[in-house]
Amino acid sequence: MDLSFLEVLERETVLEVLRRDKQLRIIEEDRIRRMKYELQELRRKGAKSYARQYGERTCARCQRPLGKFWNSGAVCRGCSHRICSKCRIGAVDWKCTVCHAYRDVKIRSGEWFLEEKAKKFPVTKDKYETVGEKLLKISNVLSHISVVPPTPPPHLDYNFLSRSGDLKNSRPFTKSMENLMVSFTSHIKKISTSQNDVREDLLSVDGGRKPARFKFSTQKSLSDTDINKSSTLFKVPSLPNLFKKSKDSDHEGSSTGAEEETSFSSEQSGGKRGSCSSISTDCSILDGLSVTGELELAVAYNPGSSCLDITVGACRALVCGDGKKKCRPFVKLHVLPDKSCKLKTSVKKNTTDPVFNEVLKFDIERHLLYGKRLQASVWHSGTLKRKVFLGEVLIPLDAWTSNNKDLQGFNWYPLCPKRPENSSGGAAEHDRVKHSSNNLGV
Amino acid sequence: MLERLTAEQVDTFIVELKFIAVITMTDGDYDYLIKLLALGDSGVGKTTFLYRYTDNKFNPKFITTVGIDFREKRVTGLLGLQYQAYTAANPNGTTAGKTFKVHLQLWDTAGQERFRSLTTAFFRDAMGFLLMFDLTSQQSFLNVRNWMSQLQANAYCENPDIVLVGNKADLADQREVQEKQAKELADKYGQVYFSHTGFRVIPYFETSAATGADVDKAVITLLDLVMKRMEQCVDKPPAEPANGNGATKLGDTQPTEKKCAC
Repeated sequence: MDLSFLEVLERETVLEVLRRDKQLRIIEEDRIRRMKYELQELRRKGAKSYARQYGERTCARCQRPLGKFWNSGAVCRGCSHRICSKCRIGAVDWKCTVCHAYRDVKIRSGEWFLEEKAKKFPVTKDKYETVGEKLLKISNVLSHISVVPPTPPPHLDYNFLSRSGDLKNSRPFTKSMENLMVSFTSHIKKISTSQNDVREDLLSVDGGRKPARFKFSTQKSLSDTDINKSSTLFKVPSLPNLFKKSKDSDHEGSSTGAEEETSFSSEQSGGKRGSCSSISTDCSILDGLSVTGELELAVAYNPGSSCLDITVGACRALVCGDGKKKCRPFVKLHVLPDKSCKLKTSVKKNTTDPVFNEVLKFDIERHLLYGKRLQASVWHSGTLKRKVFLGEVLIPLDAWTSNNKDLQGFNWYPLCPKRPENSSGGAAEHDRVKHSSNNLGV
Repeated sequence: MLERLTAEQVDTFIVELKFIAVITMTDGDYDYLIKLLALGDSGVGKTTFLYRYTDNKFNPKFITTVGIDFREKRVTGLLGLQYQAYTAANPNGTTAGKTFKVHLQLWDTAGQERFRSLTTAFFRDAMGFLLMFDLTSQQSFLNVRNWMSQLQANAYCENPDIVLVGNKADLADQREVQEKQAKELADKYGQVYFSHTGFRVIPYFETSAATGADVDKAVITLLDLVMKRMEQCVDKPPAEPANGNGATKLGDTQPTEKKCAC
């Protein structure tokens, strides 16, 4: 279905309508994202953290202890958690606060409609698309073809790669990009089992090239479809997904190394955009280091320069990354779910209580902070560019969308183990899918 | 914004207040986005009907709609599901607190045959339908049957919420369709077509975009039906719909509430 049966002027008229529709859709998507984020926060408040025992008899929402006979709580029909009498909404057919909020979001976000529609018109893609959206995309693609120069032939790329490449390593580069991706992941899997020095070398060379190539291929295809892209960047997970995910996070910290490995390798095959140095270090999460220590941060929004100013104060009681006596820590900042911009502090030498006092700035409009999270991770900078993950802090940035004086000033945050990638939200996922398809298509 | 205007401009500003309210509502400050769609034969007055509803104006000229269009309006609802126009002067309705805001996206479709493939494609994204015919045209009334089957084929479900609207009620001397006939048809579709899902009422209204009679009422009634529908959809037991119409690839669209969380 396209607009080719229309005359030129008619087509322009219809496209204009579809563009107006898109404006409305962007507003709506933003609204839904906010709504789902609030729901997620509500869930997180009640989530059992790793510090608590799961079997403990507490209300799943407010964490108040439940008695054996008096105020013993009852099981919510929606989530099957034991809920105290204060966290229920409704009289006879009650639901817990989270299930009630979930139902509410399902109605207000229009998710009910998408579910109904999917019964009659099953969705084949990973996201719902309205007819208008589809038509607009098709017409964008058509106009896009005529304007943008053809993508460069693959040999360019090969030259580029082999110019700085080592002969020994050149074999994987001659493969098509798809193969490269596949071999890349398999290398990583091998490495995670045997930390062979040569392979690690190969890996870092491999990885060092990937982002550069990435830029190269995306620049060409960005021009006018990137409007579409930027809107999908902010996609939120669909409600059921969100629900499932947050169910997982009920058991935060209980995940085993094996789980992490799977989530990690799938992440790689998707073509992660993050730094390659951390790719090699992600492996060392699997070493099973325990995470201790705290990170001191001050987060403030500067409306004058429209920057998010993050002051990294210090760390204390870090775990020693190398197993040896020397820890060389630094802090890396991301604003999730968009992993594209990354800031780092300097590396401090031979200390587990480093003092940084560095101000790092993210250039970001205030209203875009909605639904974003600051990921501050601490790393040990080892030899041969090897880095070891020492813990991270995730801070929701919604609170900084308004001028709140209470939020300024330093705070100590306890460091947490790395969360599975999917907890960083669907936006990153979409991003990844988008990019990998981009990548393979060239 | 007001200080920058001259005295004459302020006059026009006040006159155009409604228009400005339309412009400033491009924000996410609403509770529900409800998408309704008007359909029916060419010339029955879909565009003028919607223009009357959103802007409270009447344009007697016939300008055929090219493919599709939409208009927007924001209404506030009180808890008792009464709606009132959302204007800049009265942003929260009369009572504070228990109100909610609905952003209405009202799709207008071309009645002409040559746009049919385009317009029917848009049916599936609408939550409720204003099925319109012209009270002064027997043919447009007979075609309601065709539109009904188009809806069943293309709407998001087999029995969507519909309001039947007979427009141009002000032209009493040219009337060709009697109220009784139309009511019977609405009842028939309410019972016969949708009997497998239980009785569902299709309300019928005689409206006039020229005088504005019952225009608001028709839209609000449809909105009301859609709002009730969403409550039903969310509250019904999740096991029932899965085996209904053989949709197999539901996958992640199913509510995961009952699934194992591992």
